[in-house]
Amino acid sequence: MSVQVSTPARRPTGEILFALVFVSVGVAGLLAAGSIPIPPSETGIGPRAFPYIVCSMLVIVGAGIVAQVFRGKVGQAEESEDLDATAKTDWMALAKLVGFVVLHIFLIEPAGWPVAAAVLFSGAAWSLEAKPLWKAVIISVVLALVLQYVFGGLLGVSLPPGPLLEGVPFFNG
Amino acid sequence: MLLEGFSTALQPVYLLYALGGVFVGTAVGVLPGIGPAMTVALLMPITYALDPAAALIVFAGIYYGGMYGGSTTSILLNTPGESSSIVTALEGNKMAKAGRGAAALATAAIGSFVAGTIATVLLSFLAPVVAELAVGLGPVDYVALMVVAFLTVGALLGASVLRGLASLALGLFIGMIGIDDSTAQQRFTFDNPTLVDGIDMVLVAVGLFALGEALYVASKLRHGPVEVIPVSKGKNAWLSKEDWKRSWKPWLRGTFIGFPIGTVPAGGADVSTFLSYAAERKLAKGSNKAQFGKGAIEGVAGPEAANNAAAAGVLVPLLTLGIPTTATAAMMLTAFQRYQIQPGPLLFENQGALVWTLIASLYVGNLMLLVLNLPLVGLWVKILQIPRPYLYAGILVFAALGAFSVNFAAVDVGILLVVGILGYFMRRYGYPVAPMVVAMILGPMFEVQLRRSLQLSQNDPVALFSSPFAVIVYVSMALIFVGSWWLRRRQASLEAAPVKEELSV
Repeated sequence: MSVQVSTPARRPTGEILFALVFVSVGVAGLLAAGSIPIPPSETGIGPRAFPYIVCSMLVIVGAGIVAQVFRGKVGQAEESEDLDATAKTDWMALAKLVGFVVLHIFLIEPAGWPVAAAVLFSGAAWSLEAKPLWKAVIISVVLALVLQYVFGGLLGVSLPPGPLLEGVPFFNG
Repeated sequence: MLLEGFSTALQPVYLLYALGGVFVGTAVGVLPGIGPAMTVALLMPITYALDPAAALIVFAGIYYGGMYGGSTTSILLNTPGESSSIVTALEGNKMAKAGRGAAALATAAIGSFVAGTIATVLLSFLAPVVAELAVGLGPVDYVALMVVAFLTVGALLGASVLRGLASLALGLFIGMIGIDDSTAQQRFTFDNPTLVDGIDMVLVAVGLFALGEALYVASKLRHGPVEVIPVSKGKNAWLSKEDWKRSWKPWLRGTFIGFPIGTVPAGGADVSTFLSYAAERKLAKGSNKAQFGKGAIEGVAGPEAANNAAAAGVLVPLLTLGIPTTATAAMMLTAFQRYQIQPGPLLFENQGALVWTLIASLYVGNLMLLVLNLPLVGLWVKILQIPRPYLYAGILVFAALGAFSVNFAAVDVGILLVVGILGYFMRRYGYPVAPMVVAMILGPMFEVQLRRSLQLSQNDPVALFSSPFAVIVYVSMALIFVGSWWLRRRQASLEAAPVKEELSV
């Protein structure tokens, strides 16, 4: 379990920035809440009250966290089974993964879901250093076709099959 | 009524659905890093095409299967992680390392079955009674109940109170985006057509749980081969007479610790497993006591039973009041709402047939869990050994599939990605994600009830304390907070203890 290791002198800049995200969402919400229209028939606290409460809470709690971090109380990163807690953050792998999800989004409509899914899977496996790569590509194609068949064909979830598989009947619900 | 439920749930087709649900639920739940809430969220698309009864049956199976799958992971994997099964890992992992993995899995499986069955019986009797009482509750009472649910989920259950509340507030904020339920005014939509309909719960849940977790693990992935503790086969590995003798009392105690804790909005499974573990540790005598920290079977049997009993207990407030008290329950509620099933006091009257089918399928699912799990241990071990790049690539594909199939719009996958990145940073900086999910689903209901109660009292806030029920709820909340403060100190000393023992060896 969490054995207390003397925390390395991590600069908490990122943590403060993230807490400030909460503060700024709250501030933006407070500003935007003023323009929520109130119907004239309203007799209760109206549609603005709850937004004001929640956004104030965001500002206060976010500011509280910033104060805590400044006083040296940093957050405890979550633990997980496959996590190497001592490793440095691999920003490159993260950027690649995010990139492949974005690519997936733009491929769904023009190329069809199976193609987009195969690209996402093999791209993600490559980002995480799967070896050999050709194996990941084969798995991705098989997985994409199986999912398209099960969800699009059997379960009737309308995943676009795309121009390549348009004519194959069992890929369409 | 229950018999009618059984007559539906026992039809061969529905039995197959239950089997499928339990199987898939366990298989996904076994995957490392995937908790029960994420299992339900990820598997939501497979039920989209089913009729409501079949979907509920599949969900009942997934719910229990996901719960059980997590404990298999923590017993067999060298690096336990999930919070709800972490107590199981304490002793179960040690047992597996000592070559008693099969016995640990068996006592977990049978304990889950015993506890699940007893708890489902309690649920069948208690739920209709609570529903009848709940019909008399007014908006003021609901406000009180939901305040308790918010505070326990947000402030009690994480390492940092402020971070829990921040997560809660963000969930409340996202829940407000879209059209106000009471006045039909747009809020925080900025005239964007995607935002007018609000942000779908499935996107947020899958984004936070699946994508966020995948990104987080990817950023610090443990490379190299996966270490699974081998499960020894043979007669000696199975539960001995002695093991049975030592297990049955913890099973029962776990059940009666877990169920009540599940039913009150006080945190569900986590708290109950810890309490059960503490109780077993205290009650053990002689040589058994010395085994704690080194693989005591009571320390697996009790918490596992408590975990499952709490899972059934959580369904009481969910079905009768419509209030989810855990992230997993919030996911179940989302699933119900997709089928226009609105849990609450009127559920048993309006959709009695469906509810009783659901409850009957909980019995069936429990039995299937027992039948499936023990023979299939070899398969679960194989699943645990999936190379991690493929595993997390697969999770990404499934998350994207789940998000896309909500509305068949690619833009939803974009929202998923944004939420996923948010989930990544929340994990990195120690913000719990469960409060956000619960707040998002409970927030809009809370606002409706709050405004209704204030409207009735001409905006006099004192009215929020006017009903005796609400006062009782607030007082017990204060007691819960005092109790949890005490518990937390106990837990801290308990967590420090095993480390000390290891050092002294």
